[in-house]
Amino acid sequence: MEPRNQSAFQSQSHSQSRRSFLRRLAFADDATATGANRSLVCIFLRGGADTLNMLVPYGMDEYYKLRPTIAIKAPGKSSESAIKLNDLYGFHPKMAPLLPIFADGRLGMVQGVGSDNESGSHFSAQDQMEHGESCRHSLGGGWLGRHLASRTQSKQTPLSAVAIGTALPEVLRGAPAASVIRSLDDIKLSAPAGDTQLVAAALAKLYQAETALLAEPGKTTLDLLKRVQKLQQKTYSPANGAIYPDNTFGHGLKELARLLKGNVGLEISCLDLNGWDTHFFQGGAAGLQADSIEQLALGLAAFDKDLGSTRNRVTTIVITEFGRRTYENSSLGTDHGRGFTAFAIGERIAGGQIHGALPLLSKGQEVDLFGPAGLPISFDYRSVLSEILVRALDNRRIDCVFPGFNSQEVGLVKRSIV
Amino acid sequence: MALNRRDLLKIAALTSAFPLFGCEKVTSELSKKLGQTIPEKFGIAHDAAVDRDFHLLSRATYGIWPGDLDYLKKCGRDQWLQEQLSPEKIDDGACELRARRFETLWLDPGTCAEFKKPVLRDELVRHMLLRAVYSKRQLLEVMVGFWTDHLNIDVNKGDAIYAKAFDDRKVIRPNALGNFRNLIAASATSAAMLIYLDGKENRRASPDAIPNENYARELLELHTMGVDGGYKQKDVYEVARCLTGWRIHSPWQRGQVYFDNDQHDNGTKLVLGHRIAAGQGERDLDSVLDIVCKHPSTARHIATKMVTHFVSDKPPPEMVQKVATAFSSTGGDIRSMLLAIFSSPQFDQYPAAKIKRPFHYIASALRSLAADTYAHSSLTEYLSRMGHGPFEFPTPDGYPDQSSYWVSTLLWRWNFALSLCAGNIAEVSVSLPQLAQAMGAEMGQGKGLHAEKMFAHFVGRKPNEHELEAFHGHLSIKPGESRDAELVGLMLSSPAFQRC
Repeated sequence: MEPRNQSAFQSQSHSQSRRSFLRRLAFADDATATGANRSLVCIFLRGGADTLNMLVPYGMDEYYKLRPTIAIKAPGKSSESAIKLNDLYGFHPKMAPLLPIFADGRLGMVQGVGSDNESGSHFSAQDQMEHGESCRHSLGGGWLGRHLASRTQSKQTPLSAVAIGTALPEVLRGAPAASVIRSLDDIKLSAPAGDTQLVAAALAKLYQAETALLAEPGKTTLDLLKRVQKLQQKTYSPANGAIYPDNTFGHGLKELARLLKGNVGLEISCLDLNGWDTHFFQGGAAGLQADSIEQLALGLAAFDKDLGSTRNRVTTIVITEFGRRTYENSSLGTDHGRGFTAFAIGERIAGGQIHGALPLLSKGQEVDLFGPAGLPISFDYRSVLSEILVRALDNRRIDCVFPGFNSQEVGLVKRSIV
Repeated sequence: MALNRRDLLKIAALTSAFPLFGCEKVTSELSKKLGQTIPEKFGIAHDAAVDRDFHLLSRATYGIWPGDLDYLKKCGRDQWLQEQLSPEKIDDGACELRARRFETLWLDPGTCAEFKKPVLRDELVRHMLLRAVYSKRQLLEVMVGFWTDHLNIDVNKGDAIYAKAFDDRKVIRPNALGNFRNLIAASATSAAMLIYLDGKENRRASPDAIPNENYARELLELHTMGVDGGYKQKDVYEVARCLTGWRIHSPWQRGQVYFDNDQHDNGTKLVLGHRIAAGQGERDLDSVLDIVCKHPSTARHIATKMVTHFVSDKPPPEMVQKVATAFSSTGGDIRSMLLAIFSSPQFDQYPAAKIKRPFHYIASALRSLAADTYAHSSLTEYLSRMGHGPFEFPTPDGYPDQSSYWVSTLLWRWNFALSLCAGNIAEVSVSLPQLAQAMGAEMGQGKGLHAEKMFAHFVGRKPNEHELEAFHGHLSIKPGESRDAELVGLMLSSPAFQRC
């Protein structure tokens, strides 16, 4: 974890810059990677996901003591039991669709990821995580925005960064261009008198004259229209028999696969999955959280299948703002905690394993109530993100993305072979 | 315009005889007679900079209906504000004809539960949009929107939707221009809020039961003091203890809120340094509200939010201070805060400084064109496409007020504007020739529209040379209705009309 003492923090930044310099040198020879060759899909589970019931430590007695009603049963014959991964961990039964990817060595997990935010506030914790900063040390823009901005040499397109949804997520703030779309087919311009080009030309004139907030979005939108027209001319059917779940999340992933396979220069994409704030009646193998897990797992499995060979250049990361408390509350749910398990899929992921130490499960009532506590944090979330940006996306200016942050080895992403 | 008895009888007879669609036609005719139409003549702004009164209207209303600017100039800003701050004195009959027709808006939560959820959502959204477009109590509607975000309830959570209409009717609307503490008190015991933020699950069934902190945290963080308001995790916990025991009846008297003393933590609590004695039962809620509503952080937090909403994304600190003082000195009188904002000379320094949020953008386009609509899904789907469907923001902080959040919706704004002007949004009609004629922007048969005048009506100033140049490309092609529609659509798509 990052030292909280400010002076200690600064004294380390010197060695940090030396290290990142060396790292940049190491990558200088790696000329094979270009911007569009590496793509990151960032999935945010909004509300603070209870990952303790997703990657279940069935081998620990404490787990069952803390969660008398909502714990997932140890691996067994019942369909409500966890799916065994090793002697300690099992998947929630609804995670089953991801099992082949885990077995294939492309899905990896990290235990005890989190931030130094102790507020217990969704907004404060999400904002901090999306901005990629430490608590109360505000940086400009989001970490993916800074990542994109740091890649000045690579070619930015209106589709370099896409958020599926209706609003630009904080994480993409500061990106040179970022588009928010719901579906590819939606992207067209209406022209009452029939000539789309004429309307587009007039809009271009109007937005060119803007100097403030609307200038860039105007230009980006007009560029996007042109590029997408090409993709729209073909109807899309998922490859390899992939079937996406019929929900917003599934549809979003399908649109992303379409863009990724369409080679439009998509580097960064963001997708949210809501509904993880399970204070109340969280459920176990079935119920509120199980439904969310099912959406996630079915969606990711279909996405992986559909991508086919394109998956070689796609890394997917799944994070949340904080985990939940280790023990259930009186409304059979869980309250806001701290550490969580991060999930990542990709060729470059050191998958088929769980990184990081076994979380310490203890009730410690006093500490928990006034903490708020939960799983202890072994890895600052930025260490995980840094590793992905540097090793999976070949970012050579990680110091611009997380300035002054001293990254720790996680081992989630394989070192690239120079 | 007064209606005579015969008109009314005729309409009553027609209304009962016609199916719904016919009914809407009749209502439209009647609304016109009640003045909900384009006046024969109306004035527009003439300067290169945004007209000062137009600026007030674009912030204090959901857009400029033809004739609004004339009315404000005639009666003066002070009188206009006084009128808007006493909405009960404004006759809103024409709006009522359109907005009162949704029966679920008038039912209690228990009865709403008899309806299908999509029906309830549809009626809530249509009611909200129709009032925003047609009400003459514009400032009230703007404040209803403001508090709906401030005390956000996502109707997609649990059974919250059954109780949202009641929340709108009994919590938000009666207090939108009233007293802040009353508003928060009403919200704290609103069934919809108890569902949305799990308050109904916050109880002390046994001595070692752990409270559900969800509502307590948002009450402090979002509704009153603000995230940096100076409370500690311990205070959240203590407030949660104070609020244990508020429940919702089911199935008997379904949806009614009550206090169950047996589920209440009756021990001593310590909230923000104030000791709350044991055994106070439901009065603990009053104690909490007294403590937090009187806290200076609350005055500052609410003032900051209001100034951000009405003045600038970067609220000027002196103005925030002034509005916070208005809050503190009146014990949270919302009218006084609004007056402090609009009467401040600083207010005029921020014309066109904000970007309209999609709901405001859509409402203002419909108002500027004096459109005729009943807000069917063909129209309301644009709201969800732009990510601004009423009562659907998932998290309790409500739809953001920062302009930068909304700028990625441009494509949908353009398509909305172009389709609206061309009459391509089903069951929404506009009359561009009538509008142009009334403002003197009709150039004569086959000659198209006077771009400068039209534009001034929409944005409160004359177009600059770049804007004129963009429009001229259109004026030079073959004249016709669709060309006029495209031209007006471009005006509503322009950066200037995104601003307010």
